Amino acid sequence: MQEESVPYGGWIALLALVSLVSVIGMFWGELTNHRLWTGGFIGVVLIAYSFILLLLRKGGLTGV
Amino acid sequence: MYKRLLDRLLRWTLSLDVWINRIYPADFNPLYYTGGLSNLFLTVLVLSGIFLFLYYVPSFNDAYTSVQYITGAVPFGLNGVPYGQIIRGIHRYAADGFIIAILLHFFRNWFTERFRFSRDEPWISGMMLLVFAGFIGVNGYMLVWDQRAQLLVAMTGNTLAAIPIVGGALRSALFGGTGTTNLLLPRMLFLHVGPATALYVMLWWHYVRVRHPKVWPPAVWTLFSLGAVFLLSALIPAASQPLASTGAAPDRLAVDWFFLLPYVALKYVTPAWLVVLAVVIVVYGLYIPYQLPETPAAMGIRDSGIAQVVDANCTGCELCYFDCPYNAIVMVPSPHPGVTRAAQARKELAIVLESRCVECGICIGACPFEALELPGYLEEDIQGKVLDACRT
Repeated sequence: MQEESVPYGGWIALLALVSLVSVIGMFWGELTNHRLWTGGFIGVVLIAYSFILLLLRKGGLTGV
Repeated sequence: MYKRLLDRLLRWTLSLDVWINRIYPADFNPLYYTGGLSNLFLTVLVLSGIFLFLYYVPSFNDAYTSVQYITGAVPFGLNGVPYGQIIRGIHRYAADGFIIAILLHFFRNWFTERFRFSRDEPWISGMMLLVFAGFIGVNGYMLVWDQRAQLLVAMTGNTLAAIPIVGGALRSALFGGTGTTNLLLPRMLFLHVGPATALYVMLWWHYVRVRHPKVWPPAVWTLFSLGAVFLLSALIPAASQPLASTGAAPDRLAVDWFFLLPYVALKYVTPAWLVVLAVVIVVYGLYIPYQLPETPAAMGIRDSGIAQVVDANCTGCELCYFDCPYNAIVMVPSPHPGVTRAAQARKELAIVLESRCVECGICIGACPFEALELPGYLEEDIQGKVLDACRT
């Protein structure tokens, strides 16, 4: 299980970073009235989370 | 020939499943959740639709302006509805996702023959959901009252008028008169919201005969789908065409390929032929569950007879009730105690609904008290077959 999870760790960390940047972007969009950008960043966060969940599962860290 | 084609399509569908299962864990395969994805997009549509409904004004003078106000278009800008543009985009792209998911669900269940063995009711209700979803999507485009809406009203009116005898009356009933009248947009709004509510009634009908339906996709696909509609709303904002003119309808249609495809067909066929084509497609869709032989003999399977409850043995434990995939067993208050010791204290009794039983024998396996049997296939018959098999 640990051998499988190793290749995904880097990707998960990258996606977590993308999520963090997107959350900062959401606040920036709200504060500067760039609402389309805020909506787009929400989308990026949700998609990044979906891939994090997928990789956690493929790596054997969650699920069956 | 049709059966051979279906067999080939089944093999392709299963090959696609195998290929996707190499990428995703099997329980994340999106093709297993096309129904749940449809439900997810419908929920998004209802929630975003309620938001838009609060700001939309269904009149010729104000409809277009109210949509511009929602989206913060010129001249409203930042004085428009906060995040209205995003919510409109979510409504638009969730509608596209809804149709894509329904069509995938339709073709997958067709190719895997999941319309057989008393599944005709989910199939028929699914067809109704598809037709209603298409109708709701089209009149949603009319509500904006831009040039595309004006053209759609004209094309729909011409197509309805091509229906013999009742066409003119149907057009008047739908649009509130001939041409564009003040009743048009209120009616379109009602026909957008009313059938959307009816979708939930049809969904109940769709689910009622299906045990353990997957009504929601796994979290991976819920997050991805929501993220996709948010991202698309931001990258390709939903926009109106120019305001509808008071004169003749424009002659070019900005096409949404998921909802307005039938209108593209009008470029190649007359309205009368489009009506004929639509009727043939819908009627054939409704006929699909009955196209293949359904009798046990024709299908080469055993004729077991309707399952029967052995009153003396039934303990009212409900195991058969929960296991029957066809909802063919109901529990009723027991009119008298059973005979066996386990059955004497029962409160309920299992009853088999003949019209729903498909003679599959699942309830026999579910019952630990030998309280169910298939009259044409009794336990001793099965034991005899097992023994014969063991001997050979």
